Amino acid sequence: MKDTLQKFFKIDRRWIFLLLTVTLFVPIVKPIGLPNKSISQATTRVYQNIEKLPAGSFVLLSLDYDPSTRPELHPMAMALVRHAFAKNLRVGVVTYIAGSTGLIEELFARVGKEYNKTYGADYVILPYQPNILAVMTQMASDLFGIYTSDRNGAPIGGMPVLKGVKSYKDMSLIVCVTGTAILDYWVAYVGDKYSVPVAGGVTAISQPGYGPYLQTNQLKGLIGGMKGAAEYESLIKQPGKGTSGIDALNLAHLLVLILILTSNIILLFVKYF
Amino acid sequence: MVDTSIIAGGWLAAGLTIFIFSFLYRDNPFFKIAEHLYLGAGMGWLFQVSVNSVWIPKIWEPVSKGELLVIIPSVMGLTLLTQFIPKLSWMSRYGFTFMMGYGSGLAIPAGLSTDFMSQIAGTIKPFSLLASLSAMDIFNALLVAGGAICVLFYFFFSVEHKGHLKKVSNVGIYFLMVYFGAAFGNTVMARFSLLYGRFDDLFTFSGSNYFYATQVVLACMVLYFLLHGFFSGKKEDAAGEEAA
Repeated sequence: MKDTLQKFFKIDRRWIFLLLTVTLFVPIVKPIGLPNKSISQATTRVYQNIEKLPAGSFVLLSLDYDPSTRPELHPMAMALVRHAFAKNLRVGVVTYIAGSTGLIEELFARVGKEYNKTYGADYVILPYQPNILAVMTQMASDLFGIYTSDRNGAPIGGMPVLKGVKSYKDMSLIVCVTGTAILDYWVAYVGDKYSVPVAGGVTAISQPGYGPYLQTNQLKGLIGGMKGAAEYESLIKQPGKGTSGIDALNLAHLLVLILILTSNIILLFVKYF
Repeated sequence: MVDTSIIAGGWLAAGLTIFIFSFLYRDNPFFKIAEHLYLGAGMGWLFQVSVNSVWIPKIWEPVSKGELLVIIPSVMGLTLLTQFIPKLSWMSRYGFTFMMGYGSGLAIPAGLSTDFMSQIAGTIKPFSLLASLSAMDIFNALLVAGGAICVLFYFFFSVEHKGHLKKVSNVGIYFLMVYFGAAFGNTVMARFSLLYGRFDDLFTFSGSNYFYATQVVLACMVLYFLLHGFFSGKKEDAAGEEAA
C-alpha cells in the first residue's frame, strides 16, 4: 500500500501540466459561469472615485503594460475606459512602455466606437515618452511643454479634450494600469508631491506590495489582477474577459488545492501508518 | 471575412505559442526557433524604439531645428559608452555623475516622504483617533503597528536576539511568512491568468475563420514527437545491438 502511494510522488510532472491545461481550457470552450461574488474594498474605491466625478472632468490614464501582462491588465483598462466614457469624462492617455501602444490603439478603437466617442473631443492618446521621471516632473508645470503632439503627430494644443488642462492641478484623477513599478512613481512623484488623487491597476503579483499605500490613502484604490478586473466589470455591470477568466482561475486554484491536500495526506499516511 | 494579414498573424501567434509550450514536454528544435525568434524580435523592437522614439524626436529633430542645447546631454550620454574603451573610460564618469546626482535628487526626497514618513504616519495615525474607531479597526491598527515593530526588530542586528527579544523577532518572522504566503498565492494566480490568456487566444485561433490554426499546428507537433520518438528509438536499438 505504502509503495503504491509513494509512486504518487514520482509522478511525471508532465501529467500535472496536462491536467492544468485541460482545467484551464475546458471553461474557455464551455463556460461554466461560476459566480464572482466578493468585490474587494480596494477595487470599489477606484470605482467610487470615478463614479463621483462630474461629467467633463479630466482623467489621465497611464496605460503601461505590454502583451506579456495583457490577460490581466487589458480587461481592467477596458473596464476603466468604459466606466469613464459612460460617465462622459474626458480621457487623456499616456504611456511609458513602448510595447503598450498597439494595445492602447486596440482598446480605444473598440471602446470609443461602443460609446460613440470622438477622438480629440472626448479622448486623446499621447505618444510614448522615454525617461518617465523627467516627463512626470515636466507635466507638473506644463503638460504642453513635454507633449506637443499626439501619437500621430497632430498638434494637441487646440484639442477640446485638453481645454483647461495644463498641469496636474487640472486633472481630477490619475489611474495607472501597469505590471511595472510605474505606479510607485505616480504615487511618489505626482500623487504625494502635487496632491493629485492617484489610483492603480496592477498584476496580482504586485498587488500585496501596494497594501501600505492603500492604508495611508496615498493610493485612492487598487485593482489587482484578473480577479480585480472581474470585480470592476461587475461594478460597471459589463462582463468582459476578466469575468470569463474567473471560471478558469477558480478551477485552476481548486486543482492546486486538491494536489496540495492529496500530497500532504499521502505524505502523512506514509509517514505515520 | 477576416483579413489575410490577421489570419497570418493568428497562425504565427498560435504556432509560436505552441512551439514555446512544447518545451514542457521535451526540448525540441521548434522551441529553439521560437526562443531565438523571440530574442531577435525583442532586440529589433528595442532598437527601433530607441531610434524612432528617442533618437529622432529627442535629438535629431531638435538639432535640425537649431536647438543645439540637446547636444550637451547627448554627448554626456555617449560618454557612458566609453566604458568599453579602457583608455577613454574616465569620460564615462561625467555621464554617471550627472545620472547619480539627478537620480538621487529626485529619488531621495520622494522616497523619504512616500515610503518612510508617510508610512510611519500611517501606522501611528489610527492611535490618535481611537475614540472614533470600531473595535475591529483598533485591532487592525494594533496588528499593523505590532507587525511593523516585530518585523523591523527581526532586521535589527545590533542586539543579540535571545530571551524575550528572540520571541519578538520570531513574531516578526511569522508576519513576514504571512506576507510571502500572500505574495506567492497572488503569483500563482497571476501565472494562471497569463496562461489563461494564451489559451484564450489559442481557442480564438482554432476557429474556422483562422483555418483551424491551433489544431493544425498542435497536430503537426504531436506528429513530430511521435516520429522523433519512433526514429530515435530505432537508433537506440541499433546502437544497443552493435554494442552487444
